[in-house]
Amino acid sequence: MELRINQKTYQVDAEADTPLLWVIRDDLGLTGTKYGCGLAQCGACSVLVDGNVVRSCVTPVAGVVGREVTTIEAIEADEVGKRVVAVWVEHQVAQCGYCQSGQVVAATALLKNNPKPDDGQIAAAMVNLCRCGTYNAIQAAVHDLAANLATPAAPAGGNA
Amino acid sequence: MSTRPYTKIAGAVVLAGLVLLALLVWYGTRVPTSTLADEGSDTPDAALIQRGEYVARASDCVACHSLPDAAPFAGGLKMATPLGAIYATNITPDGATGIGGYSLADFDRAVRHGVAPEGRRLYPAMPYPSYSKLSDDDVRALYAFFMHGVSPVAQANKPSEIPWPLNMRWPIALWNQLFTEPGSFAERPGQNAQWNRGAYLVQGAGHCGSCHTPRGLAFNEKALSESGEQYLAGALLDGWYAPSLRNDPNTGLGRWSEADIAQFLKTGRNTHAVVFGSMTEAFNNSTQYLGDDDLAAIAHYLKSLPGDPQRDGPAWQYEVADASAFSGPGGHLYLTQCAACHGRDGKGQVPWIPPLAGATSALTTAPDSAINISLNGSLRVVSAGVPDAYRMPALRGQLSDQQIADVLSFVRTTWGNRGGKVDPQAVAKLRAHTDPASPTPIVLHMR
Amino acid sequence: MSARIDREASPLGEPINLSRRRFLLASGTVTGALVLGFALPSGSARMQAMAAESKAAGTQVGAFLEIRPDSTVRLLCPFIEGGQGTYTAMAQIVGEELDADPSTFLVESAPPGEAYVVMENGMRITGGSMSVRMSYPTMRRLGALARAMLLQAASARLNVPVAALTTEPGRVLHPVSGRSLTYGEMAADALDLPVPDVDSVTLRDPSQFRWIGKPVRRLDAYDKSTGKALYSIDMQVDGMLHAAVQHAPRLGMTVGELRNEAQVKAMEGVHSVHRLPGAVAVVAERWWHAKRAVEAIQVDWQEAAADATGRVMPADFSTVAYRERLANEPGPGREAEKEGDFAGTLAKATTRVEATYHNQYLNHAQLEPPSALARFNPDGTLDIWLPNQAQDMFLADIAKCAAIDPSRINLHSPLLGGFFGRHFLYETANPYPQAIELAKAVGRPIKLIWSREEEFLRDALRPMAVVKFRAALDDKGLPVALEAVSATEGPTESLAGKPGDQPDPTALEGLAGKSYAIPHRRIAQNYVKGPVVLGYWRSVGNSLNDFFYEAFLDELADKGGQDPFELRLHLLRDNPRLTHLLQSVVELSGGWKRGPFTAEDGSRRARGVAMASPFGTETAVVAEVSIENGQVKVHDIWQAIDPGSIVNPAIVEAQVNGAVSLGLSQALVEEAVYVDGKPRGRNFDLYPILPPARMARVHVKVIESGAKMGGIGEPPLPAVAPAVANAVARLTGQRIRSMPFSSYTFSQPA
Repeated sequence: MELRINQKTYQVDAEADTPLLWVIRDDLGLTGTKYGCGLAQCGACSVLVDGNVVRSCVTPVAGVVGREVTTIEAIEADEVGKRVVAVWVEHQVAQCGYCQSGQVVAATALLKNNPKPDDGQIAAAMVNLCRCGTYNAIQAAVHDLAANLATPAAPAGGNA
Repeated sequence: MSTRPYTKIAGAVVLAGLVLLALLVWYGTRVPTSTLADEGSDTPDAALIQRGEYVARASDCVACHSLPDAAPFAGGLKMATPLGAIYATNITPDGATGIGGYSLADFDRAVRHGVAPEGRRLYPAMPYPSYSKLSDDDVRALYAFFMHGVSPVAQANKPSEIPWPLNMRWPIALWNQLFTEPGSFAERPGQNAQWNRGAYLVQGAGHCGSCHTPRGLAFNEKALSESGEQYLAGALLDGWYAPSLRNDPNTGLGRWSEADIAQFLKTGRNTHAVVFGSMTEAFNNSTQYLGDDDLAAIAHYLKSLPGDPQRDGPAWQYEVADASAFSGPGGHLYLTQCAACHGRDGKGQVPWIPPLAGATSALTTAPDSAINISLNGSLRVVSAGVPDAYRMPALRGQLSDQQIADVLSFVRTTWGNRGGKVDPQAVAKLRAHTDPASPTPIVLHMR
Repeated sequence: MSARIDREASPLGEPINLSRRRFLLASGTVTGALVLGFALPSGSARMQAMAAESKAAGTQVGAFLEIRPDSTVRLLCPFIEGGQGTYTAMAQIVGEELDADPSTFLVESAPPGEAYVVMENGMRITGGSMSVRMSYPTMRRLGALARAMLLQAASARLNVPVAALTTEPGRVLHPVSGRSLTYGEMAADALDLPVPDVDSVTLRDPSQFRWIGKPVRRLDAYDKSTGKALYSIDMQVDGMLHAAVQHAPRLGMTVGELRNEAQVKAMEGVHSVHRLPGAVAVVAERWWHAKRAVEAIQVDWQEAAADATGRVMPADFSTVAYRERLANEPGPGREAEKEGDFAGTLAKATTRVEATYHNQYLNHAQLEPPSALARFNPDGTLDIWLPNQAQDMFLADIAKCAAIDPSRINLHSPLLGGFFGRHFLYETANPYPQAIELAKAVGRPIKLIWSREEEFLRDALRPMAVVKFRAALDDKGLPVALEAVSATEGPTESLAGKPGDQPDPTALEGLAGKSYAIPHRRIAQNYVKGPVVLGYWRSVGNSLNDFFYEAFLDELADKGGQDPFELRLHLLRDNPRLTHLLQSVVELSGGWKRGPFTAEDGSRRARGVAMASPFGTETAVVAEVSIENGQVKVHDIWQAIDPGSIVNPAIVEAQVNGAVSLGLSQALVEEAVYVDGKPRGRNFDLYPILPPARMARVHVKVIESGAKMGGIGEPPLPAVAPAVANAVARLTGQRIRSMPFSSYTFSQPA
């Protein structure tokens, strides 16, 4: 089947019910999207499909044919995603970092669809698990973004 | 005032009672005749044993008579009844503890009449009211399979935990008289062969009515064939609501094609639903093993059962839920707990993950199935030996009774669903009486 | 300079561990960079000679540091980064003395080897919240030694005395001439120099610190926000196959017949099916294929033989019954702490208090499922990537498993996707023996991943204990005698398989070692060996014992008519450090306000206080709670923490947040339940961990008292659960004597 991932077209040979996660990780070798539970419980595998967040561990690959998938590897190619990454670095959110790909993707989806989410909307969208307990840093980062998304993006990158 | 007349009357009543009792006991323990009584017991050929195995699959004997990780058909499954627990029996051909000593007629009487060799009545947990419709040929084949296709296992039956005097079996004979139909399935003239084959499988081996037909006060199925309009009209059993299998568009199969039904029984899933609850076991152990012709026949027969618009109401139609629909606590929970798989639009990812929009569990008044699967998740669907890629998680550890009530109230009143709101008390009750489904696949073996 | 440049340069499909090639060369010469050999057996003559020569740990500069031509500093860190910030902290510590900005550092885990044994207790593990506190002076000295070597090299190059030179970050200056050389320009020269005598270097005065003690930004923040950070589970090598396993449902069971082996072998993508000790495995081209196929195998599991070695999980084991078993364990126990005359005081006392507490088993539930990638190379060496917290111990065991000499093994320790004590050498809890066996069997590299379900089946659990308290109050209502007898098995005892000569400190810490001035004390253990494989879990024994002790202390306060905050102050009256700490947390929370009171949102709330002294650090917590939907809602956690001194306040605050989160998780929701010998929760559905909705606001006050440096990763955890329990008890009037609190029914307080 033909998949569109990060603006590239891939020919993938996989059964229809294969979770998108494993196509991304094992067929495409894009390991930024993480496996945590395989049961839509943790959100470490979150990716964007047509700009909306989905949990790729419970997304049969056949369902994304003809749609645009964005993984964490391409998140900075998105204007909002770039802002999210910058704020994530600014707030020093990550600890072990394993869940953060999914957190960044979830925040990007939220803010793309709703640049000014209220507390309830943030709570409904930012539900991925984090075992390191970065929840307060995530909250602070997303609130920061929600308050400032109108201002232009600062250059992201490194430890600058 | 003299008491004599009353004494006399009382004496007569007692005498009459005793006679009646004696008659009842005789009736209740007598051994019924079997149409297969006079046949010999030559070693059957392999084809007959194989056919018997197929009938055993269709009858889902293994569901009750086998335990996971134990020898096939050695019994031991605990079944709760309001009177106390009973245990499925050893039906391996072991002479001492199983049915090795059964003649064909003994076997027939147990399967089709619910009577053990010594005249003891079986509890109707054994679906003999349905199996009574089995043909002589199928009973012969079944007997051949159990005698020659199953390994004998010496494992004593566990006594039932029903206390005396409730454990007396002879009154069951009266129940049988009232609530079973004599004779095996008779083809209905005017219906084609496929319909009759379907009716035979559904009413007989399939014993679909055991779960899907509502029961009366005596726990009797209200109908045993399409002649009763309550037949397969949906029923509550063991914490699950087995939906209508009639042509009801909302609570039944009205929106399903015959091909949908056959696909569901063959693969466990279609674009409308995925098997869950007790149906997962019926699928894992029984329906997927049926031949395509038989599945088509079942589908054909079921589609002939008319729905009841009065009960079912106008046909469900999808309604878009806008952002405001998600503003309450239930909608919020739906987004955080359910939407990742079932979709913000409630349409699921068919056929892998079922839609909730238009699901029978969201359209039936009884919320039991919706509550049960939310609390306990689903058993693994094992299709053609391969466990499912996606399973429903058990949410009992994450959501309170109120939260489950909230989210299900949302599901059951959104996208055109109208099953109605869910009471947290109902969640609490089911929570207390159910256990989470095993996350590991359970495969019951017949050999 | 960013930490990601080289990773980007690495082509996808190659194992991304830049240090490997260099390590292979390590016993010989090296090219260009400042690198010294290290991969020597610790007993070898050369190593002994080197040790004699250097006389001190952490002085083989070349084994740790590589300075590249662009002056980027690569530091091979003795510890492993798993979120606790050790890579950044080490860059700060070394950079401070080397005079190199931490942001120019690229930090990776060092391989096994004697050279990296830098902890003052002679160990090298990433655990016990020890990394920074146990290696702080050594790692500073390492930076200073390297700086001295660079100065020496510059002195030769510029032909000026060392004394005429100075440094600024990343370069050597000759102020008189105005000449300067970058570190990168001199790295090659410095390589040829001997490591100076350790006494020849002076460490920087702390008042002059530029980076130590400052909120320096984490080196890994960007990589971890963009999916570029690589964990063991992400490793890929050419020709690799994937493997998945199905473990026996109960430990000790063995593989019997595979009923459908032929069918499974024929499944899509399957390479081969394997029988392993207590498990079956499928090797496939894709992990998803391996996982589906291995789940499909119908194994006829056999009960463990009567003479089976190792732990055997009985078919009738349940956590409920085991708790009863612990509760019924008789006897006074073996004493770990004894002061005064407990029995005599209790006998004479007019007011006695008794209570029994218990806790639950816990999974580590780190978000990265365990994996191992094993590759046997044509020359007979083995490269292996896996999550671990103790390289040398793992290397020794891998050598045993693979039956090859440790010198022929390259152990790679990528970033940990959380650990919390998960990645020690627990028998039956690590995938690498299986990966090694499979790689041998198929003759190709194998990456084995345990699914979440297999992980929760074989994880080593945080121990369970039932603790019986007895205490006596004097006529003023103050506690004068306290006894705690814990029926439990500690993780160290579990690893050993038997009790030691003394009670296991990791079983009793948090009951023993409390600072309260209760004159008559007795802390003891009844060792009960169970069938569950136990492990270290963030803050170890303190995670349960401080809950027991601090909640019981509130019971004593209530019984004696004391305010629990005032009582603690009284019991700490001769301990200025802890008095200050306790007053600080209460001040941080806006003053002591036990409640119940009505909050602005109309909810009824109360507060509780608790303290703990784990891993050389002192902590105090105030918690504010209400009841919402019948569940405990924790609104705020105030924590004052005194680790003596710190390296990075931002990371400390993050660690406090993380420890609070785990502390709340164990208090509110987590529990590993066993029924019929099997864990009921095999994934996050039936083993829930704290979700964001139940996180509390966290307020941190760091106190640098100047006391000996303590730990940071674990210490902020233990006082959380008892502070919450004490608040809930105050609010509801209901004593909380077990975790998790979800097993209690709470009604809305009036």
